[in-house]
Amino acid sequence: MNSLRHDFIQSCLRSVSSASPNSNDAQNPEATRKYKYLDVGCGGGIFASSAARLPNTASVTAIDPTSEVIKVAREHQRGDPMLSQPGRLQYLNCAIEELDSHIEGQGKESFDFVTVFEVVEHIDKPAAFLRQALAHLKPGGWLIGSTIARHPVSYLTTKIVAEAPWPIGVVPPGTHDWNKYVNPSEVREWFAHENHELHTRNVETSDNEGRIEAGDKYGVVRVEGCIYLPLLGWKWAGGTAESR
Amino acid sequence: MLSRPASKSSRYICKACRSAINASRKRKFGTNSITSNPTSDDIYDVVTVGGGPVGLALLAALKTSPSTSHLKCLLVESQSLAKQKSWSLPPDAYSNRASSITPTNQSFLEAIEAWRHLDLTRVQPYDEMQVWDAGNAASIQFDWSAEAIKYNAPLRTVATMVENSNLSRGLLRRIEDVGAEESMMSGWNVKGIGNGIDDPEGCNLSTWPVLELQQIGSEGSQNTKQIATRLLIGADGINSPVRTFAGINTNGWDYGRHGVVATLQVESSSDPASPFQNSVSNDDFDSALEDFLSDDPKSSSSSSQPNFENITPSNRATAFQRFLPALGGPIAILPLPNNHASLVWSTTPQIASYLKSLSPSAFTATVNAALRLEQVDIQYLFSLPTTISEPNNTSPHESELTWRLQHTKSTPPSRSPPWITALQPNTIASFPLRLRNATSYIAPRIALAGDAAHTIHPLAGQGLNLGLGDAECLSRTIRYAVEHGMDIGDLMALQGYSGERYAAAVRVSTGVDLLNKVYQIGSGDGLVGSLLGAARGLGMRAVGMVPGVREAIMRTVD
Repeated sequence: MNSLRHDFIQSCLRSVSSASPNSNDAQNPEATRKYKYLDVGCGGGIFASSAARLPNTASVTAIDPTSEVIKVAREHQRGDPMLSQPGRLQYLNCAIEELDSHIEGQGKESFDFVTVFEVVEHIDKPAAFLRQALAHLKPGGWLIGSTIARHPVSYLTTKIVAEAPWPIGVVPPGTHDWNKYVNPSEVREWFAHENHELHTRNVETSDNEGRIEAGDKYGVVRVEGCIYLPLLGWKWAGGTAESR
Repeated sequence: MLSRPASKSSRYICKACRSAINASRKRKFGTNSITSNPTSDDIYDVVTVGGGPVGLALLAALKTSPSTSHLKCLLVESQSLAKQKSWSLPPDAYSNRASSITPTNQSFLEAIEAWRHLDLTRVQPYDEMQVWDAGNAASIQFDWSAEAIKYNAPLRTVATMVENSNLSRGLLRRIEDVGAEESMMSGWNVKGIGNGIDDPEGCNLSTWPVLELQQIGSEGSQNTKQIATRLLIGADGINSPVRTFAGINTNGWDYGRHGVVATLQVESSSDPASPFQNSVSNDDFDSALEDFLSDDPKSSSSSSQPNFENITPSNRATAFQRFLPALGGPIAILPLPNNHASLVWSTTPQIASYLKSLSPSAFTATVNAALRLEQVDIQYLFSLPTTISEPNNTSPHESELTWRLQHTKSTPPSRSPPWITALQPNTIASFPLRLRNATSYIAPRIALAGDAAHTIHPLAGQGLNLGLGDAECLSRTIRYAVEHGMDIGDLMALQGYSGERYAAAVRVSTGVDLLNKVYQIGSGDGLVGSLLGAARGLGMRAVGMVPGVREAIMRTVD
């Protein structure tokens, strides 16, 4: 699935830029640009370490409130001299609310990408969580994530099959709570709502520093569904669970 | 997938990772004692052991693609690459190690911009393969003529004969072109391979291969080097030390046969059916086509150019292979430019050493006999003494050949093989024929390519082609891994390579092995042998007659 994440990030970048971000054309400023990532809920660092290896990555800051997984992530980092380069990949054992105190001096809105892969389905209050995460995003930056849709199929795959006893199950029972899953339409609605709220707020504030914008704070929400096929691996599903 | 483990039971290392860590701890090759990790100067992304065409093609491919050109690469070769780069032969002499390159591999070499660095006056594309069997009267012709006639196009190349040295030199020139000469260490041996250490104050390189290199010709520890690599590639031949280090076994057997190679001079015939005389050049064909398509009435009356409606696509060259079941294997004559040809004769070790002991004129007579006479006649020639005893210095082989040609009953193929006129001095050599396949082409931080992974019978000319296919697939696999932020030495990153190449190698080597077995039938003199030989002949004719089967066979080795 991690490869699909990178393909998705590339397709998001391509949707706003005509140049390929991966080309080595020195004339093109987009090509030589280097990106800063904030990976929230990084776990063992599968995504964070892969982002740190990309040639056009400036740095990756990866956080997780669970100390055991941060230990695993740091141990994995030690096994790769490239990831151990100073400033390339930093793991922090903290929650998103505590991040500011760990990255003092960097200021808000300092990351090109804020990534939340397989996190939101574990969060009690996703709206507050996302607002915290979005506060670190640069203007023009992307929030990229993945989560499980709340759909009968995902109940079958992630609860009944995945949490089954050995030899069928792959995760311990209780890992997921189906009621916490969110659907693409709910995500879109929330961002539309956020845009509306912020727009209203900006118009009413006198101290708006000339920031009255005709446009929204958050741009188009892109969603792609993916599915795990036994023997074949993770594949794009050509739509989402809702749109089927 | 988890951002937080729900319970203690989930804090474990999965079985696959555990076995990978244990497997890499146990690996060892040669003598090696590693007490500290190499410094960052000596840590590489890709180290390839072996500077043959496969290793060179891989390096050229990695340095050509923008996604992988930044990788820190090293190629280690024990022989002198400088000597290979300065290889040069006059136009009337050809190396006896030449390979038949398929169009797919030619496209790969063009894509990595190495093809244009070959001396293209020394390569020979051929349009046709004549295959026939000394055990019966069947013959089959492989070419793309059905397509050429259907589309009114020049004949598509079946394959191109290239001297291995021409290919290696071209690849070395390309590597210099992209400024990667510093990535090659020539004249260095791999003394040992081990693993790095888990340095508490630094990195944990316990899964990283560490090679101890020694410069050849130097004693003691003056010229040794220790290097670590993220991915170690074994392109180091059939006895691959890298494969041994990885603990990978091989399956296979020795064929009990030798391949005798030589460079021959052939007669340039004025016979229009001769493969060495173009009836219509491709340029004439193109201009005749233009005239035909234009509505200009004036052009249709031009008499100097061939009438388009009457000409057939011209034949540049033909490869010939005659199966000799009673004599241990096939004899193949592969065309080279300037009336030269490459010989590959798979036969028993006894016949091989007999052939190598012959004088040049006796040798050429025997080759001509092998292409034209019946097997009993050829066998008689093998019983003749090798020293010249006749007064006019003619070998007994030549006189026997002359006499028996008048009486032979064997059936030639639809295009006759060329008459061999001379043997290029000092080009006779032989090598044992073996089938080998590694049980796996990958291991954590290891990949095998070329003969290190697989060795096959030469009768279909596919050995080097498989190796070049490996190089192409491996460079593509590494490119995908880099573009997706993977650790290129990770087993998961390498699995795509293994899946694609293992299947391809097994397909080709099994097919070739089966073909060889089929053509060993009928090696006895008895009734059963000749009946089976006749049955095989029927099979060959059937393959030729059923539409599409020939093309399907050609496509699998295209």
